[in-house]
Amino acid sequence: MSPLLSVENLRIAFPSRQGPVEVVRGVSFELGRERLGIVGESGSGKSQTGRAILGLTPVSGKATADLLEFDGIDLRDATPAKWRSLRGARMSMVMQDPKFSLNPVMTIGKQLMEAVKLHGGKSEARDKSLAMLEAVQIRDPERVMAAYPHELSGGMGQRAMIAMMLVTEPDLLIADEPTSALDVTVQIEVLRILDRLVSERGMGLIFISHDLELVSTFCDRVLVMYAGRVVEELDAAKMSEAQHPYTRGLIGCLPKINGDVRPLPVLARDAAWLE
Amino acid sequence: MALIDIEDLEVVFGSGGRRVHALRGVSLSVEEGESFGIVGESGSGKSTVLRAACGLAPVTGGRILIDGKQVTSPRDAAFYRRVQMVFQDPYASLHPRHTIDRVLSEPLAIHGFDRREARVEQALDEVGLGKGFRFRYPHQLSGGQRQRVAIARALILEPKVILLDEPTSALDASIQAEVLNLLDRLRDERGLTYVLVSHDLAVVSHMCERLMVMQNGQVVEQLTREALQARATTKDYTRNLLTASEGFTRDPALQT
Repeated sequence: MSPLLSVENLRIAFPSRQGPVEVVRGVSFELGRERLGIVGESGSGKSQTGRAILGLTPVSGKATADLLEFDGIDLRDATPAKWRSLRGARMSMVMQDPKFSLNPVMTIGKQLMEAVKLHGGKSEARDKSLAMLEAVQIRDPERVMAAYPHELSGGMGQRAMIAMMLVTEPDLLIADEPTSALDVTVQIEVLRILDRLVSERGMGLIFISHDLELVSTFCDRVLVMYAGRVVEELDAAKMSEAQHPYTRGLIGCLPKINGDVRPLPVLARDAAWLE
Repeated sequence: MALIDIEDLEVVFGSGGRRVHALRGVSLSVEEGESFGIVGESGSGKSTVLRAACGLAPVTGGRILIDGKQVTSPRDAAFYRRVQMVFQDPYASLHPRHTIDRVLSEPLAIHGFDRREARVEQALDEVGLGKGFRFRYPHQLSGGQRQRVAIARALILEPKVILLDEPTSALDASIQAEVLNLLDRLRDERGLTYVLVSHDLAVVSHMCERLMVMQNGQVVEQLTREALQARATTKDYTRNLLTASEGFTRDPALQT
């Protein structure tokens, strides 16, 4: 089976006074219908990688790649019309914070139905939206449809956003820190919903997070990014066998409930990791 | 006698239909030199305990005693000499147009300290930043460096108690380890007393000898670190938190 998404030598540069600065430097990977985790610290380029796949690199930046192919479609020189037919319908993205990513002056129902209507299915938009809200385990979908984003809690808002992204049944979902703004117990619930949707609908999922532990328990495969490069690719189950000193350092510096290492080992950054 | 004694603390925000009962009878006591943790989810009232203690939230009922003496409202200068707070977001808690020097000198001026220049330099050294940072602005620092400045600002008055409200949750894992180590070392060197609020059980277990779990403005239970590590909890809520903090577990029924 050919992969759902192929990325080869993706580079993203932003202009600065000292000339262009590359924040993503040659990232390559392939994604099938699986859960792929991308971990790294802030500034490692993990979010920019996710955005570039959807063509959402900020206008000041420039993304180039040797290959950027989604289901046989070359994304590198896609026209705006092509992007409109892909985004939302076949690939979509869940953002970190529902407070900033939902339209504050539109009800959830209206925002949800907008997505359905745009991608066909005007008449059943309402039923589809209600069914989707139920699928993300919102107990009272009628009330949530009529609610504005500020009337929902963080967990509810995040579920509504996931519903919005999934209502068109995309093939590829990019989730950029989808649960970082949520409490741990809610976080697990939201992940369970994502997990079920991936396995039931055969979606490809790119899960971007800074939380190594969470990614290693949730995903199938993990890419570890450092300073714009993938330093290591691992099977999620084999996280403890990580070879790269950066990955090992990241695992080591987390405090553990049962551990009592004092002081905590800190990450000594090596200039050689940049190469 | 405990250094901090909080008895039946009640906090109510707003009135009428917008009344929010944020704390419903919270009691705790912290001995001198101890590190005490408060964990809970958002909205559980864990930060409100700290804010009420240092006068940032209205105390509707109950008593707060420091060293056996009830605190006055508003708090007097002597209170802030003894109790200082470090906030969650290092991007929001430093004035963007004040240099680090000004941030650190202001409390010294308010409390009439001598040798201000030397104290500012010493405070920067102690948090591992060094004199070179003295005349920078917050936007020239990284998140971890800013949190170090916030810690330096709290320490510069030589307080006994530091209230830490999620001190590392805005930081990357590797930076978190550095800041936690710094806090550990400072407590050792100066015999400080910490009250640390966090949503992360692992951080609390690492930093605190005793902890309290909160939910809906009430105390669920109090535990020692050993009890937490042995999973010796009697409450379902704490058990759920413990399970959730171990990461995602796939429902066996859905395994293929």
